[in-house]
Amino acid sequence: MPRSASSRTHHFAQLAAPRGALLLCVSVLLVCLLSACGGGSGDDAQSNSAAPLSSSAALGEKIFQDTTLSASGQQSCSTCHNPANAHAPSNSLAVQLGGALMNLQGTRQTPSIRYLNFNTSFHFDDEGTPTGGFFWDGRAESLAQQAGAPFVNPFEMANADQAAVVAKLSQAPYAAEFKQLYGDAIFADVDATVQRMGLAVQQYQREDREFHSFTSKYDSFLLGKARLSDQEMRGLALFNSPTKGNCAGCHPSARAADGAMPLFTDFTYDNLGVPRNPEIGANADPAYFDLGLCARPDGSMAAHPELCGAFKVPSLRNVALRKVFFHNGRFKTLKDTLTFYVQRDTHPEKWYPLNPDSSVNKFDDLPAQYHGNVNTTEVPYNRQPGDALALSDSEIDDVIAFLQTLSDGYVP
Amino acid sequence: MKRPALSLAAALAVSQFVPALAHAQSTPTLEELARKVDQLSAELAAVKAQLQQQKTAAATPLPAGSAPAAATAAAPAPAPASSEPATVLTSYGEINYNRPKHSADAQADVRRFVLGYQHRFDDKTQVVTELEVEHGVASASDSGEVEVEQAYIEHQLAPSHALRAGLFLMPVGLLNENHEPTAFYGVERNFVETAIIPTTWREGGLQYVGNFDNGLTAQAGLTTSFDLTKWDAASTEGAESPLASVHQEMSLAKGHDIAVFGAANWRGIPGLLLGGSLFTGNATQGQPGFASARITLWDLHARWTPQRWDLSALYAQGRSSNTAALNAPPVGNPTLIPERFDGWYVQSAYTLWTDGDRALSPFARLERFNTGRRYADLGPGLTPDALPTERVVTVGVNYKLNANVVIKADLQRFKLVGDNNRFDLGLGWSF
Amino acid sequence: MRMLLVPMALASLAPSSAFAVDYLSAEQARRLMFPEADSFEPRAITLDAGQLQALSASGVPARSAHWTLQVARHAGTALGYVVIDAVIGKFELITYAVGLDLDGGVRQLEVLSYRESHGHEVRLPAWRRQFVGKNAASPLRVGDDIANISGATLSCQHVTDGVRRIVAVVDLARRSGALG
Repeated sequence: MPRSASSRTHHFAQLAAPRGALLLCVSVLLVCLLSACGGGSGDDAQSNSAAPLSSSAALGEKIFQDTTLSASGQQSCSTCHNPANAHAPSNSLAVQLGGALMNLQGTRQTPSIRYLNFNTSFHFDDEGTPTGGFFWDGRAESLAQQAGAPFVNPFEMANADQAAVVAKLSQAPYAAEFKQLYGDAIFADVDATVQRMGLAVQQYQREDREFHSFTSKYDSFLLGKARLSDQEMRGLALFNSPTKGNCAGCHPSARAADGAMPLFTDFTYDNLGVPRNPEIGANADPAYFDLGLCARPDGSMAAHPELCGAFKVPSLRNVALRKVFFHNGRFKTLKDTLTFYVQRDTHPEKWYPLNPDSSVNKFDDLPAQYHGNVNTTEVPYNRQPGDALALSDSEIDDVIAFLQTLSDGYVP
Repeated sequence: MKRPALSLAAALAVSQFVPALAHAQSTPTLEELARKVDQLSAELAAVKAQLQQQKTAAATPLPAGSAPAAATAAAPAPAPASSEPATVLTSYGEINYNRPKHSADAQADVRRFVLGYQHRFDDKTQVVTELEVEHGVASASDSGEVEVEQAYIEHQLAPSHALRAGLFLMPVGLLNENHEPTAFYGVERNFVETAIIPTTWREGGLQYVGNFDNGLTAQAGLTTSFDLTKWDAASTEGAESPLASVHQEMSLAKGHDIAVFGAANWRGIPGLLLGGSLFTGNATQGQPGFASARITLWDLHARWTPQRWDLSALYAQGRSSNTAALNAPPVGNPTLIPERFDGWYVQSAYTLWTDGDRALSPFARLERFNTGRRYADLGPGLTPDALPTERVVTVGVNYKLNANVVIKADLQRFKLVGDNNRFDLGLGWSF
Repeated sequence: MRMLLVPMALASLAPSSAFAVDYLSAEQARRLMFPEADSFEPRAITLDAGQLQALSASGVPARSAHWTLQVARHAGTALGYVVIDAVIGKFELITYAVGLDLDGGVRQLEVLSYRESHGHEVRLPAWRRQFVGKNAASPLRVGDDIANISGATLSCQHVTDGVRRIVAVVDLARRSGALG
């Protein structure tokens, strides 16, 4: 009996084996496939848990906040790049004051330094578009290089030289930590110390979530956790539309292909022909022009006269918290700024001074030979006087309502 | 392809021949007879030698060594299966010339160059693959692309039922599975089956294929799905073909969502094909922040070939759910995700002239399609208007040089964009 | 003795497992075509140069001068002929059998084995029935008197070509008296 049963089962197994094995494989495969369907929804790309800073970043934070590192003893990075105001100035000065006595005017507006960890060093991309680089003219290659420059800028922290900076650092309360991390003999090597200072501040900016928190209302909206109001939605539509505001042309508002949240800048440069700002003392000299990208102090871009007048496209995140706009701080409200975009060419007399012969001195902040560099082809500044406005007054208000959703710290 | 083999039957023929010949002649001399016998024996020797050669070279099914009486072997050279190559090279190519209204836009293009192979592992299992090069040159700075069009294993479960696993063509419409240039009329593939059904549409997964004795072929399976998170609202790709802009082609494809599809095609009456298909699957692949949305595509098609006519008709419709939520962030951009897109065409061709394998077939086709038939409401002033429906009339001729080579010419007129009106020439082959 | 030998020989001829899908054996096919036959006598035909040329001229290259068919007989009386042949569909072999009446007209078509992924419909009675009654005078062309199967054009064409060839060869042989 057992023998025949086993032979029967053996026979059955023989017949069934190929087909049975196939069915088993198919069902296992199906189970695996279907269980994948029920997989998790995926974590939020930016979790808000605050991980402790690494030792170099912690040092960077201290350096960032240390006013003793300045000639005046009153200025640190955070003085102008105020963490409480999106790491940008809280006052409405066109350019900040610095120097040993805190009374010297710089020449360019202090931008927010948030979301810069996504920037690259300066280069010309495949299509020849200048991209990347830190500062308004992209002259610093990295956050570290940029962080080191203000210490020896006579209009900013105004140290005589790097040695003076290092001397001050070696007296700082955290000097021991600095030595512990970088070696006891570090302060003896000025260049090495300066380099490590820059790296520490860079690391601080990279690690501290405050510099890239993506906690705006718009971020919540993109993640499906918040709804925009009707006006904000209208503003977003105008912002995106290539025939209306076309803001997204340089200030991308869409998530990247890999799901990364939009930075509202493509880190390129543009020449808007912003009117000259009399508030900047240097502009009292009619021969003085801030030529931006082509006029880097080291002369590296002197061979690109077509880039004179071009300045970095800043991120629009936290733009509603800013008090001054454009590289020369010419405008103090978003309304004025947006109206300038829309009416620069349809009503130039509103923005530029008049010549003695009553013609408009358009693009007065650029020498005549560079007027051709100004962007006059992209919407909305592709108009002529008398053309219809790209955005009406109420549409500008809608866009401003949308821009207000880009401020970090939104709580749904 | 087939070696005319000298079967054993030849020996019979010879042996039958001899008595007949001897009978026909009246009084042959002995010398003549002797000469004839010599000649015949020489021929017989030659035949035997050939047979011996065949015996050693041929595979088992040929009963070359068995008794002459059982020489009921099939007629000349039914070469046994094992001498058929296990690996077959396949290929098709399309070289097109388009000349639109503005002749400055005329274009000549090696539209497709496809190489593939099929390899039979055993009597039940084979692999089918196809590699395609589009637009001649593929590199970082050229417009071409190289892609794997098909790569699947087909395993026969039973004589009429098979399973396919891997990357395979979706059984949708009339063109997707049979998209070689010799299989359709006109230089370019029709718009409904490129803009609505994204030919050549392939997904990866598992497919069952069943052929039933009533003429029904049923196909069904589970596959990868589209990726709506790839939708680029700033470009016009989505308006040209919604699904082609979000297909994944199993290239590092997001696999969170599994789609299901089914197709039924009935060919019970010779010359008639009636069929339809349905595909549905989620398409936001579990990406954070993207509301869940489902893409569904279905089609109905018919083809009738009475005598020299070749008539076909097709309707295809695609739908996307939850587009209001997906369209909110890119609102204001030129190309948002449509809620519905569809199209249909009717085509008739007539074989005017044939000569052996050559054939001349004029045809005419009318198609209407809309890649943005309807958009979900986003609020007043924000909801995109439905796109206008394009209508294309194509009139032309296919000239088959032989079953595998076709020369085509046609004229196309576009209702919406008159600038697209064009004259096309095409050369295609397939084997 | 001969009658017994033949079936056995046929059995050894039955498509081996090298064929993926064998629907009918040759023996089964001819029984279907001539159920009343009690014997199948093999007959070899050789076409001479003149006949081969005539075939080519009429657009039906003979492929070979030597053919074998079987004469179905009942009680010694001939009923008709059976020819077994094979063609390539698109890539794979299709083995089929054609049954012909004494006047050379097609009596029946059976598909013995089919391995292509597409075009299984050539096996369907509806498609095969189209061949019944065709003779050497018929066009026997896909798109003319034989309907195509959408998606399997090459299989249909090649099988149709094969039937047309067989009909022409048998017709020639019959008229030249080789079939007696």
